Amino acid sequence: MKKLISISLVALACLSLFAGGSSESGNTVIIWHSNSGAIGTAFDDIVDRFNETVGEEKGIEIEAIYQGSANDVLTKVKAAAAADTSTLPDIAQFDATAALDMMNSDYLVLPEELGVDTSDIMPAAIESLMSERGLLAIPFNASSLLLYYNKTLFDSLSLTPPETLDEFTSIAPLLGEKDSSGNVTRYAFAGVPATYELGAFIGAQKGLSYFVDEANGHTGTPRTVLFGKEGTFRNFLVHWKSLYDTGYVNNITSGVSTEFAAGRTATMLASSSNLSTVLNTVAGRFEVGTAFVPKTDEEATGGVNIGGGALFSFTSSDAVKTVLEYLSSEDVQLEWAEKTGYMPVNTALSDNPEYIAFLADNPQFRVAMEQTEASNPEVTGVWLPSAYQIYYSFQSEIRNVTENGKDIDQAVSDMEATVQKALDDYARQNLV
Amino acid sequence: MKENSLKAFLYLAPALLLALLFCFIPLGKAFIGSFLTISQQGRILGFAGLDNYISLFRDQAFLSSVKHTLLFTVLFLPLNTAITLLAAALLKTKRRFTAAAEYIFITPLAFSLSALALIFKEIFRGRVSIINRIFGLSIAWLDESIPAMIVLVILGIFLDFAFDYLLLLSQFRGTDKSIIEAAEIDGASGLTLFFRIELPAIQNMLSAVIFMALKDAIMISAPVMVLTEGGPFRSTETIMYYYYLEAFRSGNRAAGTTIAVLMVLFSILIMSIISRRRRDV
Repeated sequence: MKKLISISLVALACLSLFAGGSSESGNTVIIWHSNSGAIGTAFDDIVDRFNETVGEEKGIEIEAIYQGSANDVLTKVKAAAAADTSTLPDIAQFDATAALDMMNSDYLVLPEELGVDTSDIMPAAIESLMSERGLLAIPFNASSLLLYYNKTLFDSLSLTPPETLDEFTSIAPLLGEKDSSGNVTRYAFAGVPATYELGAFIGAQKGLSYFVDEANGHTGTPRTVLFGKEGTFRNFLVHWKSLYDTGYVNNITSGVSTEFAAGRTATMLASSSNLSTVLNTVAGRFEVGTAFVPKTDEEATGGVNIGGGALFSFTSSDAVKTVLEYLSSEDVQLEWAEKTGYMPVNTALSDNPEYIAFLADNPQFRVAMEQTEASNPEVTGVWLPSAYQIYYSFQSEIRNVTENGKDIDQAVSDMEATVQKALDDYARQNLV
Repeated sequence: MKENSLKAFLYLAPALLLALLFCFIPLGKAFIGSFLTISQQGRILGFAGLDNYISLFRDQAFLSSVKHTLLFTVLFLPLNTAITLLAAALLKTKRRFTAAAEYIFITPLAFSLSALALIFKEIFRGRVSIINRIFGLSIAWLDESIPAMIVLVILGIFLDFAFDYLLLLSQFRGTDKSIIEAAEIDGASGLTLFFRIELPAIQNMLSAVIFMALKDAIMISAPVMVLTEGGPFRSTETIMYYYYLEAFRSGNRAAGTTIAVLMVLFSILIMSIISRRRRDV
């Protein structure tokens, strides 16, 4: 008897290992997202309003779950997909680092398959998500890289934001400041460029330059690194090193906005989506200006690519379609843009009086749109495997060149090797 | 007799089952997988031979992660042992205020790893960090390679301290008093008493503490994940953090399985060296 009891207990314990994991969907649309802080609050407001209005009418409820940074969301989606696709959310918000994995996945449901109407969506934003399989996702939080600068300081020196890196190099000593013992108290620039910033610094060269073949991975899985043999990374490093050698570039990789808000750096590069947060942190201590990203050289006329994120779906249902159309609608995009600094992806807004009035009052928000309009739409984000590691490798090599005197050609070939290895590993494991 | 062994097996069954499910089966799968080419979504694409291993050892980032793990171990292991041993030795005799010190030393046990790592991140953030204010320093701790590694070591010690300290303290206090009294009668005192009598009396526990610290050092990943994310400039990427990045962030199964297999082999090697040494003693 005792034996029987213990056996059944063991069996029970074993069974509990396999329980759980079932998901009841009904008409709940689960969104995994990466919006935190002021952006998170804005997103929650948008979701709440859906649930109270359109959702209430149609019996659909959005359940928005914050899953960490955009890269964390990707990690979790991939883990869920590898385990059992029923544990996937209905929609996930990713940035460009996810595109390659999504393009090659068999669980992604394309907007075209859902029948989502994309006629009102900004063409450049659509272009940024075009792949060999067609449009991968619905643009939602589009942004672009901007040069943030301390306008009060620039005005007091009668300077305008630099248009090229060489110009930046020549004004850096004026922007910087040292105390009596020679310590730098204000830098001209803080931060170390990574994949995102290089998207502009490399992508814009000669009007259009790709990091890797297959149009940066958009027309197929990339196999070859181009920034090495085309000399674009080298060209950037040469100009960047001159800027660094002025002594007024602070190679930090965290807390850059804090340094900017504290007035310890005159400029920084950041996504337009940080605009609201930066304005809040600076809190009127000085006037914040935004400008186009400086060009690597005079011939780097390609401009910037559209960054930010988009909504990828994994469930084919009318509820998902409704939610996607709601999130890219005119009203939602207007609210989203005003509260965050993201560029609205809905073209109907270009003659929306409320938005026009908002831009007139907040000129900093206009620069991202203007810069995108002035850019070559073919300059697109880089779709790479191992994007997370490559991001930090770019920073390491730039640091090696600027701080440790590493030979530029050596840095280029090391960086090329790192990316090529990632491409080879990916191709070997994912292309049959 | 037979009845007894069946009974024993039944008692062991849940643990064995869990070990089988979560250790041995995955290990076997990883071992086989490390010689195959497997896609992100788990499809077997072919036999890879030693390609996965070759590709791993050609990766500069992996070799760096080995270096960083070694550096961490070399810094962490002696410091952690010395500090916990010192704390336990100082408080081994119960006196009036030892209880207060004990409470303080044990408090870190009440905090979760991520909470502590986040607190450290705040304490050491930027050039005007709390720690710099207190000590009048001007070090950008988490923005420079060596200082970031030092912060990681301090966090590692902080995380392990309370538990190691408790183990050593209880062993000190549990030592047979008659041995110590006998030594005192023979005229031993102070450092001689400590190094010749008391320390050898706790050596088994001490080696257990060192062994656990070694394990923690080699396997360190979670504190890296929260505190430095491998940065700045990939200078605090340890082997297990590199493993996490490749296997989970990039979905690179080749790197994931090969590192898993190598780490298990390495652990077996260390364990066999240690158990042989123990037999010698």
